[in-house]
Amino acid sequence: MIFWQILVDGFAISALYALGATGFTLIFGVSGVLNLSHGAIMVAAAVAAWAATGLLHAGPYVGALAGIVVGVLLAFATYALTVRPIQRSRRIAEAEKEIFILTATLLWGIIIQEAIAYLFTNNAKTVLPIVEGVVTVLGVRTPRNEYFTAVICWAAIGLLWLFVNRTRSGKAVLAASMNPRGVTLLGFELSTIYLVVWGIYGLLAGSAGVLLGMFLGVSSYSVGPLTASAFSIVVLGGLGSVSGSLIAAYVVGYLETATAYLVSPEYRTIPALLLLVAVMYLRPQGLFGRR
Amino acid sequence: MRALVGSRLFWFGAVVLVAAAVLPLWVSGYVLGLLTVAYYTAVFAMSWDLLFGFAGEVNFGPTFLIGLGAYTAGILDSQFSPDLSIWWCILAGAAAAVVGGVVLALPALRVSGPYFGLTTLVAVLMLQNFIVVFADLTGGEIGLPVPDVITIDAKLNYLIAFGFMLVAGGILFGLSRSAIGLILQASGQDAVQAGALGFNVSKHKLFAFAVSAFFSGLSGALMVFYLGTASVGTFVDIGVGVQVIIAAVLGGRRTVLGAAIGAVFLIVMGEGLRPLGELATLIVSVTALLVILFFPNGFLGMIRGGSRA
Amino acid sequence: MNDAPMLEVSGLTKRFGGLVAVKDLEFEIRPGEILGLIGPNGSGKSTVMKMIMGVVRPSSGSIKLDGVELAGLPAHKIARRGVGLVFQHSRPLNRQTVLENIKVALLPDSLLALFADRGVDGQARAIAERVGLGHLLDRKPPTLAFADLRRLELAKAVARHPKLVLVDEPFAGLTASEVGQFSTLIKEFRDDGRAVLLVDHNVKSVSALVDRVLALYLGERIAEGSAADVMQDETVRRVYLGGALTGSTRSRQFAADSAPVLTVETVSVLYGKAQALQGVSLYVHEGEFVSLVGLNGAGKTTLFNAICGLVPYSGAIRWGGTALDGRSPASIARGGIVQCPETRELFGDMSVRENLELGGDHLDTAERLERLDWLYDLFPILKGRQAQNARTLSGGEQQMLAIARALMMKPKLLILDEPTLGLAPVILETLSKALERLRRDSPITILLGEQNVTFALPHADRVYVLDHARIAWEGPPGRFEAEAAQHYL
Repeated sequence: MIFWQILVDGFAISALYALGATGFTLIFGVSGVLNLSHGAIMVAAAVAAWAATGLLHAGPYVGALAGIVVGVLLAFATYALTVRPIQRSRRIAEAEKEIFILTATLLWGIIIQEAIAYLFTNNAKTVLPIVEGVVTVLGVRTPRNEYFTAVICWAAIGLLWLFVNRTRSGKAVLAASMNPRGVTLLGFELSTIYLVVWGIYGLLAGSAGVLLGMFLGVSSYSVGPLTASAFSIVVLGGLGSVSGSLIAAYVVGYLETATAYLVSPEYRTIPALLLLVAVMYLRPQGLFGRR
Repeated sequence: MRALVGSRLFWFGAVVLVAAAVLPLWVSGYVLGLLTVAYYTAVFAMSWDLLFGFAGEVNFGPTFLIGLGAYTAGILDSQFSPDLSIWWCILAGAAAAVVGGVVLALPALRVSGPYFGLTTLVAVLMLQNFIVVFADLTGGEIGLPVPDVITIDAKLNYLIAFGFMLVAGGILFGLSRSAIGLILQASGQDAVQAGALGFNVSKHKLFAFAVSAFFSGLSGALMVFYLGTASVGTFVDIGVGVQVIIAAVLGGRRTVLGAAIGAVFLIVMGEGLRPLGELATLIVSVTALLVILFFPNGFLGMIRGGSRA
Repeated sequence: MNDAPMLEVSGLTKRFGGLVAVKDLEFEIRPGEILGLIGPNGSGKSTVMKMIMGVVRPSSGSIKLDGVELAGLPAHKIARRGVGLVFQHSRPLNRQTVLENIKVALLPDSLLALFADRGVDGQARAIAERVGLGHLLDRKPPTLAFADLRRLELAKAVARHPKLVLVDEPFAGLTASEVGQFSTLIKEFRDDGRAVLLVDHNVKSVSALVDRVLALYLGERIAEGSAADVMQDETVRRVYLGGALTGSTRSRQFAADSAPVLTVETVSVLYGKAQALQGVSLYVHEGEFVSLVGLNGAGKTTLFNAICGLVPYSGAIRWGGTALDGRSPASIARGGIVQCPETRELFGDMSVRENLELGGDHLDTAERLERLDWLYDLFPILKGRQAQNARTLSGGEQQMLAIARALMMKPKLLILDEPTLGLAPVILETLSKALERLRRDSPITILLGEQNVTFALPHADRVYVLDHARIAWEGPPGRFEAEAAQHYL
């Protein structure tokens, strides 16, 4: 029955990775930014949810909402404090802006991480789950929360897909990721589009963080590995390709879960990392990369 | 005008160096120890700055090279001591770093922009995972204690680190100003033009990688035998890498010497803020972010010519 | 002066996927000779130069320098064998001084070159003197004037006394007196016994300098001979000026005596140091069709970008009386000025219909559908390809989509930048007819920028000629051939 265990656990974990990676890729696709404070935003959202339910004794739904709100606020803060000032700066040469933004978002992530550790200690925290209890399917005992996580992740991804492909503003965002000059020519203000995108990113990262907090728990130490896994997945799938990220998330998620169950939990990150190295050597633009 | 400032800076620098050299006479072992770590970090930062100036790309994983040097030296010593002198271990560490640097350079130089940064970051992750997984050999997350150290005398350790920093800094700075430094700068700034002027750009960038790797690995190996232990948190962690990059940026990109100033500043400031506990890293990070946003040219850049890029 | 050729090119071909950029080209240059390689955009001339320099690898053919085969070698080896290249756009090392920039060109390709040969400094100074940079040795490129940057490029290219010097667009961006100085320098290289290849898109600008001209079109040689002969050549004239220039009856009257709806007043644009536009003034009346004719690099795109708020400029641009300065490009587009740029800027992974709908985003549903139908009528082929991804359309279909998308915005002024670039004659017919219908059916003002005169003239009410950043001529299309054509060849 270990096969089913791997199937279910792998699916849930991959779904969580997918949600995080999608946000990461969206930001890169539309505004060209590799946000290295990604993990920090996710953890901050989780900790906010934990604080709301644990310290302020709010219900799990309110807690989750608090976490997502924090995610959105931090996303906007990232844009306003690190990305936009550098993009508009006259003191930094154009060719160096990308590097500066990378470094600035990395620093910002560290700032958030240290703030969390300072305010809430770096102990692991779990968020009060919305769905409790255990269920047995096909001989495998799994927390209901795990199924809930997978469902919510895919619902969020589905909503994003609907937004981008079926709504007019969503199509403008998608168009901006293909060709920012093009949307300007059609009368869309890019600055508004960027705000929308960072807001959506905040929703995605915040949700992923809260769900992670409910599912596995987080601590300020999770920040680095979360950012690392998000960009490994995104690089594997191809920078800027959302479908690539989704597929890569599942590849990585299943590789990790299978390794953890079949070999040893200690080695679980190795196969994904080896795959990443192979891709870097053979096809640096990733599976579906565009840029 | 520049010559005048140059020579004023030069004399100022000379005075500081002399003061630093005789510091052991007056100052406690604690301060000496702090500065020893700062000097080794300064070499990390200077090596990074050289590569940045020459490859023209940001290496996000300097700790790949540092870690290779430190752990190779540490593992060799823990396995073969006392049959193997620590100086052979140190040399082996530097060599391992050079090999690692060349192996990293091959895919990294084929790509550019964010992919280059990511490739270097992946290398660090690989090393980190490798160390944790093969804990029997490497000590895993706990760390690897090495049986030997260079010396237990704080003053001697300080002088060795200081001397090493001077020599390494001299060589790295000299390289950056030499004729080959000029070729490397051309390769980094405009590879197509450099090719049209008759330079084999790949060869030169590989050389830059090798030099940066050599000094990073050597400094890492030396530091292992100062601290008496090798751990992921000191040599490999991305946070350490970020510190190296910040040091170089704070001091002034592409000045080489600025990186040393930035490193000493960061280490001393970090230590000075230690009483604040968790807040210390926070404050240092905020400072660094402000510097990047408002003074992108760093200390040396500011002194030389204002805050315009 | 030796009679054996210095550079021998034969069978030179370059394919980029299915596109043949250069086809079976053959020519030679003797030492002490200046050859001009002329051709419009897309003729392959830059590709030829890049192949000689080794920046691009030939698909087949031979390039021999003084008897030594160069084809296929990497650029740095070709440079060391004696070829120097002056790039079209200056590429100095901005953090080094002028002297250091020239020194780099003199250094050997060695990892052990810690100290430059003692002679290098002296050599660098001598070269700097020769090109006129002797007094600027300690300055850094960002502080130099445009012409001095070009001098630096010349200095770097000839530093090691190459046997062959390649110069890409030698006079772009230079004033008349600077052109004279550079010509003298290039002549001196020739008199030193070097072979010189000048690449340009305009015979006239290099005619005083070259010994011979080779004209290219679509990758093949169409004429060779002295400059005067080539300018008179039938094929060359046809390719540059287009076929029989016919006017056409304009089917609309426009209010010529009323105030112009768009005015451009002494607008100048600097790209870095290069003067992309200099004191350009023009005006367009409501309902008028104005053609702006000019070769590559003349400044058409820059002017359009200035009008659309995409580049900063000095001078004034007014739309309906109010200044456009300070408005964001998106707001100018919403205000009625819509550009269909040369690069088309389509959303490649979206369908034709999705591209069009984005153009009509600000309209309400009913209006949008109505507009869509009208455009499908104007461009029937788009209707058939509604669901197809824009990336998979042919060049002509993409151009039609780009224009249709711009029209979805219900523009008051439609700016078209080089719509015919790279399109087959059959498509040009379709486009031409569509433009006529457009003017007949709707009160639209059009500003068209083109190098293809056959396309630009028939629809125009008025024509401007833009040459090297300045307006060189204005008048009705009928008088173009007689008066303006000389600016064009």
